[in-house]
Amino acid sequence: MDPLLVTQALNVLYEVVTLAVIVLGLAIVFGLLGVMNLAHGEFIALGAYVAYVCQSHGLPYLAAVPAAIAACALLALPVERFLIRPLYDRPFDTLLATWGLSLFMRKAIEIGFGGGYKSLKIPVSDSVLVLGTPFPAYRLLLMALCAALIAALLLWYRRSVAGARVKAMVGNRELAQAVGIRTDRLARDTFVVGLCFAGLAGVMVAPLVSVQPYMGLDYVLRSFFVLVVGGLGSPLGLLSGAAAIGGVESAMSALVDRTAGYSTVLLIAIFFLWRRPHGIFGRS
Amino acid sequence: MNTWVFDFEDVTGGYGGSVVVRGLTGAVAAGQALCVLGRNGVGKSTLLRLLHGFLPLARGSVRFAGRDLAGLDPARRTALGVSFAPQERIVFDDLTVRENLTLMRPGHPLAALAPYFARFPRLAERLGQHAGTLSGGERKLLSLLRVLAEDRPVALLDEPSEGVQSESVRQMATLIGERKAAGAAFVIVEQNLELVEAVADRYLILDQGRTVQAGDRSTLRRAELVAHLRV
Amino acid sequence: MGSLAVRSAVLLLLLLALPLALGEYWAFQLGLFFLYAIAALGVALCWGQAGFLPLGQALFVGLAAYLSGAALIQWGEAWWVFLLLPFAAIAAGALAFLLGLIIFRGRSESGPYFAIITLAIALLAFQVANSWNAVTGGYNGMKAIPGLPGLEGFSDVYYLAAVALACAVALCGWLVQAPLGTLWRAIALNERRVAYFGYDTAMLKAIAFGLSGVLAGIAGALYAPQQGLVTPELVGFALSADLVIWVAVGGRKRVLGPVLGAVLVGILSAELRERTYYWDLIVAAVFVFVVLYAPGGIGALLAPLERLLPGRRKALEPLRAPASKAPRSAVTLAIDGVSAAAGEVRILDRLSLAVARPGIYCLIGPNGAGKTSTFNMLTGELRAQAGEVRLDGDILSKPTPYRLARRGVGRKFQIPSVFGELSIDENLRIAVWSARTSLLDWLRPATRRWDTPVMAALRGRYPFLDDGGRLASALSHGERQVLELSMALITEPRLLLLDEPCAGLSSEETAQVREVIRWARDTLGLSVVIIEHDMALVKQLAEHVFVLHQGRLLAEGDVAAIRSDPRVHEVYVGAAE
Repeated sequence: MDPLLVTQALNVLYEVVTLAVIVLGLAIVFGLLGVMNLAHGEFIALGAYVAYVCQSHGLPYLAAVPAAIAACALLALPVERFLIRPLYDRPFDTLLATWGLSLFMRKAIEIGFGGGYKSLKIPVSDSVLVLGTPFPAYRLLLMALCAALIAALLLWYRRSVAGARVKAMVGNRELAQAVGIRTDRLARDTFVVGLCFAGLAGVMVAPLVSVQPYMGLDYVLRSFFVLVVGGLGSPLGLLSGAAAIGGVESAMSALVDRTAGYSTVLLIAIFFLWRRPHGIFGRS
Repeated sequence: MNTWVFDFEDVTGGYGGSVVVRGLTGAVAAGQALCVLGRNGVGKSTLLRLLHGFLPLARGSVRFAGRDLAGLDPARRTALGVSFAPQERIVFDDLTVRENLTLMRPGHPLAALAPYFARFPRLAERLGQHAGTLSGGERKLLSLLRVLAEDRPVALLDEPSEGVQSESVRQMATLIGERKAAGAAFVIVEQNLELVEAVADRYLILDQGRTVQAGDRSTLRRAELVAHLRV
Repeated sequence: MGSLAVRSAVLLLLLLALPLALGEYWAFQLGLFFLYAIAALGVALCWGQAGFLPLGQALFVGLAAYLSGAALIQWGEAWWVFLLLPFAAIAAGALAFLLGLIIFRGRSESGPYFAIITLAIALLAFQVANSWNAVTGGYNGMKAIPGLPGLEGFSDVYYLAAVALACAVALCGWLVQAPLGTLWRAIALNERRVAYFGYDTAMLKAIAFGLSGVLAGIAGALYAPQQGLVTPELVGFALSADLVIWVAVGGRKRVLGPVLGAVLVGILSAELRERTYYWDLIVAAVFVFVVLYAPGGIGALLAPLERLLPGRRKALEPLRAPASKAPRSAVTLAIDGVSAAAGEVRILDRLSLAVARPGIYCLIGPNGAGKTSTFNMLTGELRAQAGEVRLDGDILSKPTPYRLARRGVGRKFQIPSVFGELSIDENLRIAVWSARTSLLDWLRPATRRWDTPVMAALRGRYPFLDDGGRLASALSHGERQVLELSMALITEPRLLLLDEPCAGLSSEETAQVREVIRWARDTLGLSVVIIEHDMALVKQLAEHVFVLHQGRLLAEGDVAAIRSDPRVHEVYVGAAE
């Protein structure tokens, strides 16, 4: 097979899969709970910076995983209690409040770590042959991990009782309380889990992207676009949205340039937000 | 004197500060059913929502097995032993019929529900379907089954027979009767006199948020009820 | 209006005197933030008045700045370049208006998705500005823009900015008090209800967005000569975000709020950001605090001050309103074999019924019979999958609340949906203006004085309607029911759909409502369809009764015929023994 083609295909696939894992946290928080969390990107950044701190202290890279989850959970709890919970019936204000939170976190990271780029060492630096073409091993590993994470979450959501209870709570909060679900707690736990997934995504992509205080802004917009294009609340939507946005962007970037790629993504997003807010498969 | 498993006194309250029901008092003992009657808009549903903690009481008290339920949210009241079937949005549309029945009791064998399914075979055929695809009457049956399967000492039912065919209403009455015989207590808001006559041990008739008549089985007269329902 | 003129004059004098006290640097800085304040005024118009948040307002600032910059580079020496600058602002406004109309026509909600769409458009514009080197100068921007002829000094542009700001404040003050402002605030509270009064809400919102575009455009057109440089940064996210923060912190509901926000927060930020890292943290925290607990912002603190200003509120002479533009002849309505479903559940099942001549019709049936759904189907909120509806003999295809209201169909909801944060007067006016106003009327203060015989008669029946300054949210449940019924009647409909008009009313109140309905039938010659559960009321009011059951017409006729019908009996209380 044409090695260039293989590399290109792997790159597109890589973009799509990492994008899906970036979106995962927001898919839970916005897609399931309906909370428009504009600070999603900053929690990804938080995960990335935790990974940076771990690495610069000479800890093994895997140590960043529990550390990032702990950091995100510790921050997510008060955020849920004081920002999200009072605003459950005011989605507009949720958007603004989490946006204020994102400004705050961005600045706090800048004060703590400086405004410059941090580069992390890639934990696995070899490359392996895929269909005769060399490809960085960490990217391949990352793709596998992302795929596994997404699959695990989907399976959990489809099969587990907790997944069904979340669905029940989101679909009919009052009946959920009537059958005995403590909806306040369940919503809180779901929110925290969503933000921990954001942090985890940050740890996973940190070695391959430029880690800087403003990295979150780009992630959160892209995540929103993926969810809008794919449709909220459905695992299939998450994947198809990531495929559409990630695929189009990397294809256009390869064919024309990065500006064209990003502009096309914006155009697609605008169209869906305007005409098809329920996504590709959604009924209007 | 404290033989009531569920009782309420001087219950007063409504939505957003307005008062819809005033000074309602009632009680039910184990193995009994209390039916609440009245035409639409007199506050029957509001009463049930006050009893289960969805709305705050402006005045009065609600007790389960002698324990005051003040300050407990609906989920805790349910956990204590009071089931609740609302009037609207009565099932989880996005869950399957099976999930609707087992949501709070994972691993519970459905076989235990076999006697119920025998009476409502259409539900048994649809265990794997989403509840959102059921008809209005089937949802009411599912909602009732969910409450019966929960097997709690007290159940509050809001118009269980609404939109249900008369044949199924009779089956409902039989099931409620069987659970009563097993010691369960019911508070039922209902308009269907057939069901009321079949299960009620005591009854309350409301108008404009107040009790206009209360009594037990011996004083239940269809003609009077029809007059109060103003058909 | 007196207080507005005084306020503007005082403000203008203060502004003109400031540079003498502050010196050139500050005059220059202040001038810049005055321009931002003009753009912020536009954001407040959309967000504080009409209730939708533009999150990409920098797009319009940037567009006008590039246009103005290009004009100045081309013709900067000529005096008539001044005449071109307004066109830059108007171009930005026109773009905003068109975008607004397209977006709002496509989807009626103005929640978070609209905000994200505007943000995405602004980001797209940034990509264009950043990469279209030939026109915008690309990443480095459009450089060496000359100042305006005759105004090259640092403080010269200050005066221009100050005058522009004063004009912008006066314009916004005018709009907020004009009928247009009332309609915007009503849309922010309940857009659907406004549409039911026969207003094209998408157009009203697009007007607000267009005006905000003009204001942003004024800021941009002056920004180019003031700074001498326009970079893509101006179009991007940062300024859009700052504008929203300034408006929120300053107070989005008051005319001067955004000005306060832009000038105070903006200037403090420009100064303190350099000195302390923590300034931006403080701003972010204050912003979150405002969103959570103080939606009025700093502007709310001004309320007591404003009361000190000389303002006269004397009763205005009422003006006779022009006749309604809706048709006046008696209505005929025929529903023919209509079916509708929500998801898998059938709600209406081949429903047929007809209203052939004026009179009072009651729609009864057990819960879930499809009564409210029938209304929803008529007004287009529930889509009919089969069958047809004919109004005056024409088939209604794709009905909307707005179009039906224009044809003389009014509706009152089960839960009274008056505009709680507006006064009784404003509520009534929205009804009077319905189907009587044009764009020009929305701007003229005299429109606020319109009155009609129906309105006067209702005021006579219900004295609380005369207490016009009271907020509708302060009314009792019964009064709100009456207010909404009055609003529906003031539009002088030909067909009125009433959903449980007496729910929650005492028996005296019920009797009054009954009388009003009869009076309206006689004076307006209208057809009323009432959903009602109270059989006593049905007996007193109905000339004809429709009984619905499981989405179908089970029986119809006069009250006596319905009462003796065994089928009706069965659906209400179960089978007879």
